[in-house]
Amino acid sequence: MDPMVSIIIPTFNRRLYLPCALGSAVKQDYKNIEIFVVNDGGEDVSDIVSSFDDPRVTFINRGENRGKAYSLNQALEKATGKYVCYLDDDDIYYSNHVRTLVKVLESNPDYHVAYSDLYKVYCNVLPDGSRQALSKVVEVSRDFDRYFMFYFNHCLHVSLMHRRDLFEKTGLYNENLNILVDWDIARRFAFFTDFYHVEDITAEYYTPVEGSDRISVKGRKDLDKYKKNVLAIRKTRPPKPWYKTKDLSIIFDADEINEGSTRTIGQVVGHTFHPYKFYIPMPAYDWARINSDLSNMVNVDVAPNASRLEKFDKALNECEGEYVVILPDRFNITDLWVEKAAYALDHSCGNECFELEDSSECCFAVVASREDFIKARNQFPKYLLRDSLVAAGLVIKKVDELSSPFEFDSYIHLAIQKEEDGDWKRAIEIYEYLAKSSQNKLWVKTCIAKACFEAGYYTAAVKLSEELNNTRPTVNTLLQHAKICRKMNDYTDAIELLKKAEEILEGKELVWM
Amino acid sequence: MDVVKGEEINDSTQHYEVLMQLGDCHATVGYYELARQYYNKAAAIGPDEAGPYVGLGVISLHENHLEDADIAFRVAYRLNNSCSKAFAGMAMVHQQRGDYRTAFDLYLKCMELDPNNLTALLGLFQSSCQMGTFAKVIHYLELYLGMHPADVSVMFSLSALYMKEGRLDDSKKLLLDVIALDSSNHDAVNLLEEIEHKIAHDMQVGVNV
Repeated sequence: MDPMVSIIIPTFNRRLYLPCALGSAVKQDYKNIEIFVVNDGGEDVSDIVSSFDDPRVTFINRGENRGKAYSLNQALEKATGKYVCYLDDDDIYYSNHVRTLVKVLESNPDYHVAYSDLYKVYCNVLPDGSRQALSKVVEVSRDFDRYFMFYFNHCLHVSLMHRRDLFEKTGLYNENLNILVDWDIARRFAFFTDFYHVEDITAEYYTPVEGSDRISVKGRKDLDKYKKNVLAIRKTRPPKPWYKTKDLSIIFDADEINEGSTRTIGQVVGHTFHPYKFYIPMPAYDWARINSDLSNMVNVDVAPNASRLEKFDKALNECEGEYVVILPDRFNITDLWVEKAAYALDHSCGNECFELEDSSECCFAVVASREDFIKARNQFPKYLLRDSLVAAGLVIKKVDELSSPFEFDSYIHLAIQKEEDGDWKRAIEIYEYLAKSSQNKLWVKTCIAKACFEAGYYTAAVKLSEELNNTRPTVNTLLQHAKICRKMNDYTDAIELLKKAEEILEGKELVWM
Repeated sequence: MDVVKGEEINDSTQHYEVLMQLGDCHATVGYYELARQYYNKAAAIGPDEAGPYVGLGVISLHENHLEDADIAFRVAYRLNNSCSKAFAGMAMVHQQRGDYRTAFDLYLKCMELDPNNLTALLGLFQSSCQMGTFAKVIHYLELYLGMHPADVSVMFSLSALYMKEGRLDDSKKLLLDVIALDSSNHDAVNLLEEIEHKIAHDMQVGVNV
């Protein structure tokens, strides 16, 4: 028996597009589905829902507008599926969407989340409200990367399917967030499971060129509100145990808390995206005077005359993270200040700890496993922190620039820079280097094909384009392949490829439209 | 910190480009009716773009519908008054109507906007031949060859103009270059033969004088 899948469609004032969205859910070629349409206090759509006359559709008609997260949670209370997926009221699934994702989740039980690729459709909205596609691009197509997920959402909500029982570990959607509710939940999932990336394109989401009415897009325009949401998401720590993420305990190493150290603390909050708790050793009565509503800050109560070593040792005993960071007062904090070292520790063979980039003799900052730290401090309690680690046999390493969690992005940026300079040959070399890694192979191959075309290496470009279009044709890869054929005076093949691209743009595969 | 989202760049001209490519490909292989359909669709998607009207004009020219071609190129020009192809198209219409002076001026305008436009360059050459004036066009052919030094067809045209202007040595030198690049170019071989004959004749006349 195929497992039940719950599809949730929240809707708010989009009567015109809801029939397409709901139609695409009803017409799934995977039949064991239940669909929840939740009206989030918008104009009445009951006639649209009932017109489908499908017993698998449940309509939740709420009069009050309470936001997307609330709507999703309301449907989830009724959902019975083993798996859950989502569809916005102005987007569409292709008919194979549910089947594709169920198949990978059923065949890979270690993965509790799967996601596919989507077309982002830039469109004109015509006077009658219909949408004219101007382009269909696969804007986001990245293999799952946990560090990346902590920083940026690369799994779009419409493309996501997950086991419903994951909510038992993560909790439901955060109704206090105005935007980015999808990133928040995907980020929380990442504490517990890997995500399976299916490179098939199984859905479309629409962006009018004249400006989107999406709440997620509008919300980004209020930068303060957006930042508040981002910080709230980054601070979110689902209940333990976390199966896939090490907790980071940052221990503040300062003689006293003054204005400068407050700035350092603020910078930690602004620049840290790895899940963490910040331990600040200071007398409890001083702590009480500080206005601290930051949930990830923990006071370690110490005597007023405690030495820095005593403060650290007390915090070390109280903290709960698998990794411990020593953060000296006024340490230089920028993006990735601690993530690079944590990433290195993740990939370490053991018996190592990693000094942060700007660490020095007098301003020692390091990430080590809590276990190693405790061992070192127990064995050599009178030593300075660095000396105790060395005496305990730990190798203190500097972070290797190349093993940064965003190494892939650094190289891609470099290649794009070379493209902009017209140095296509160098761009190809960089892409070919990236192609050797295990990540984002299709994406990198697309880049190489384009660079080969621009560099005039038509034979290589045509070979790569053929491979791409045999694996997963997109409008762009078809268009590029056609251009190469034209250059080689092969008009028959060029026309065939362009016609396929046109069919995709015109939505000919969308049988319900 | 900059992150790269995915594989394809945001672009709202993709559908237009696909339709234009389809129009161009069909026009190249002679399927004018299909090409026309695609250009019309492209014009609907990109109503401010001159490209589809240039395509439609070129088809009309091929079909010898000069009036339709003229209208299409004029629309292209109205949409984009720096569209070099619109000028080249209008020039071709005038040339075919026998209005060589206007054609010449329009080709010149096209060359100012796009010195690489070979159609305009050859149009300049033809229309100047048709008018019997070569001075201006020699300048543009030389300019073009400076940018495309191995373009045999332009080299040949320029050598013919040099000959007409009495610059026989320049013409001979260029024809030798043409033959070095393309030994099977019979036109160049024949013209070279003619020039050598003329040089010899001139020398003979000089000796006699």
